Amino acid sequence: MKRTFDTGNAAITEGAIRAGCSLFAGYPITPATEIAENMSRRLPQVGGYYLQAEDENAALHICNGGAIGGLKAMTATSGPGFILFADAFGWAVSSEVPVVIVNSQRVGPVSGITGAPGQGEFYLSRYLTHGGNFETIVLAPSSVQEAFRLTVRAFYLAERFRTPVIVLADQMVTDGWETLELPESEAEFTAMGLEVVPRRIHPGPEFYPASDAIDIPPVVLGHNTGAACSDWTPTDRGHDTEDVTWQHKHAWRLIHKIRNHRELIDEAEEWFLDDDPDVILVAYGTPSRVVQSAVRAARREGLRVGGIRLISLWPFQDRMFSRTATYLTVELNWDGQLVREVQRAAAAGSSVHFWGRCGELPSSGELLETVQKLLKNEPLERDGWRTEKW
Amino acid sequence: MSERIEILISGYGGQGVVRIGQILGQAAVYQGLYTTMLISHGTETRGGYVRSQVVISDEFIDSPVVERPDYFCAFSAIAYQMFKGLCGPQGLILHNPDLVSPDPLLEAGHWAIRAESLAERELGNAVFANVVFLGALSSRLALLSAEHIAAAIRERLPERFHEKNLRAFALGQGLKVQVQP
Amino acid sequence: MSDLLEKYVRPEKNPGTACKGCGLRLAHRRVLEAIDELGLGQGDVVWGTGIGCSGRQTFVTWKGDTFAGTHGRVYAMATGLRLALPPEKRLILTVGDGDAFTIGFLHLLNAARRNVDMTVVVFDNLGYQSTGGQYGVTTPLGSRTDSSPYGAWEPNWTQGGFDVLRILKEAGATFLARHTVLQGHEPVESLKRAIRNPGFSLVQLIYPCVTHYGVQALGTRDPAAIYDWFRERTAGLIEGDPGDRFTTGILHDASGSRVEFSAAMRDFVASVQKGERHV
Repeated sequence: MKRTFDTGNAAITEGAIRAGCSLFAGYPITPATEIAENMSRRLPQVGGYYLQAEDENAALHICNGGAIGGLKAMTATSGPGFILFADAFGWAVSSEVPVVIVNSQRVGPVSGITGAPGQGEFYLSRYLTHGGNFETIVLAPSSVQEAFRLTVRAFYLAERFRTPVIVLADQMVTDGWETLELPESEAEFTAMGLEVVPRRIHPGPEFYPASDAIDIPPVVLGHNTGAACSDWTPTDRGHDTEDVTWQHKHAWRLIHKIRNHRELIDEAEEWFLDDDPDVILVAYGTPSRVVQSAVRAARREGLRVGGIRLISLWPFQDRMFSRTATYLTVELNWDGQLVREVQRAAAAGSSVHFWGRCGELPSSGELLETVQKLLKNEPLERDGWRTEKW
Repeated sequence: MSERIEILISGYGGQGVVRIGQILGQAAVYQGLYTTMLISHGTETRGGYVRSQVVISDEFIDSPVVERPDYFCAFSAIAYQMFKGLCGPQGLILHNPDLVSPDPLLEAGHWAIRAESLAERELGNAVFANVVFLGALSSRLALLSAEHIAAAIRERLPERFHEKNLRAFALGQGLKVQVQP
Repeated sequence: MSDLLEKYVRPEKNPGTACKGCGLRLAHRRVLEAIDELGLGQGDVVWGTGIGCSGRQTFVTWKGDTFAGTHGRVYAMATGLRLALPPEKRLILTVGDGDAFTIGFLHLLNAARRNVDMTVVVFDNLGYQSTGGQYGVTTPLGSRTDSSPYGAWEPNWTQGGFDVLRILKEAGATFLARHTVLQGHEPVESLKRAIRNPGFSLVQLIYPCVTHYGVQALGTRDPAAIYDWFRERTAGLIEGDPGDRFTTGILHDASGSRVEFSAAMRDFVASVQKGERHV
């Protein structure tokens, strides 16, 4: 194992390379630029292609084009570029194209603050295109090491599910430096629980079966299989149709190939959930590490506090919220996004609260104070714009 | 019981704030420890500072946030004003008295190091001041060996600057701690 | 002619979606003729399509491999796909004027800049016809359409001293031609040269829309009258402002003069791998 001190950006690059990525198209944007820079250096070394697109929409379309030619492809961006993926993302979802998208979330909306962390794309990552009728796989790393692991995993899931997989990071994960262990052999790679699915080629003619099956080879052009893929509603052979029955079959497949195999995707870490917590803190990404500190500190003080860190965000893991408790989500946004989903999923009788900030991580001390208020049933409202009741 | 050291380094862009953090982190990795570093890219619109938050520990680091710095390298008056409040009585603030005037109300200790003029005089260039600070800091860090920090300097800095940086490091290491309460 | 359809077109997609009397079928056929005359089989061509009348008419008609992009993005997709395909595979895109010259123009320009090996065939029906007839950047000035009820007045890219193909030439395209579908074998010859060019080629094929443009702009749905109007306006290569005429012919042939993008990429990557380039 090679131990290094490096950034999440470098970890994502290495993860992609080791997962067999051979095409990266992107557009420079803070704080994801360093992924592009690393890819521009690393990809040619392993025989892969790096190119800079005219915009992010083109970047993902270029990736899609490479992917339907048989290449494993990835792009990386931040909020203002992520929103431009809407069109190409929808194409990849509907045409069932394996491709990996990294978003290093910064403060928004729009240009916001370039070099400070945010978590404003929780819902956007789920619904990155229009029209509904699909399910999305989103993974959220909270450390440099995990950025490496989840990038490899994103490629793995993309191949098995024939769908774009989003790695939803934040500026602290991508720009942050940390101990990073990189496997130096196949055995070490496997020992880390990592797997690679090589690209296969669908032989046709039923490229889009009306089933929830996974592990179907993707549609790959250039092998004269009569391959067809498009933005249109496809029949099983990929022909365009306006038939609502076929549309329903297609939508059902896009939704349930993921929902019915969610055990392959679901991943979370929990702290003290089995020890009757009164208050459960919930977070993903970098804030979850402060949550972990706060939970430990609370336990040291004898408080019955637990914590949940979501590693896969979508499909949302309702199962994690089956306890009746007081939940507090900790997020890098002011409007409260994760809290809405927790409120929906939490067991009857639970109360759900929100702690939010943008651009800076919370301190564990602040979280502990908030937990103490919740335990005493004190209101969380603060005055004026500083903190508002969610 | 695990040991967790929190180090905050802040100053202007170009003062080597990130570089010092990288060297510390690299040294910690050489030493077989865990380490994290968060970087805030300061721009003029955000107060004109750059900040590295470095945590070193012998176990996996949960929160990478420096909440109660054990050491604060304050390279500028703005940085000092911004973050001095985080430092408790156990904290030690390394600063250049030509740039930073210590707040007498703080409980933290202050260590005045005229790193710029020292680097200018001994090495002919004030640019090595940050590594003088690093040397001084390392003399207090029992967790990290000087050999590993020197190796990290060689790893993280361009080869043509190795010799002078290692001398700057030694200069800092040799400074006598003069803590003002 | 029906032999051509049998040879290349999926039977379930024949006769296609174009309106009765539309010139689009003829345009589609011109491309098949060129492919046939070049001796290419279904395995030699990967066919991509855009949106609108042209996309609907041509998508998954090709018996070989085929794809359709979202509106205007097929050039970006083709750029990625080209990197994955063997160089000898021909990549043909049949798209509309709106797709190529407006919504997708940024991507088209960048595909030309890189000289990516693809043949873009723009089936130009002088505006947005599949949405019911609105003016576009190739709609003749003064034309009444559903969105220009007083006559189209916004500057277009084919009159008033502008020529969209000149922009593409400056952007780096290596083969550019314009024809109407009514010019017999001429467009087929240009298409053959375009497909043979190992680089970025574009052929603009203007065709009559009888359902919308004919009715709204020309005041008739009689195909014969509409085709006559087309023939009257068709001219050869014109120096300077063509007025209201269609300048037709090969506007630029620099086939093989620039390094093709995917070839350059492969060479670059090989040189890095051989250690000939360093960071």
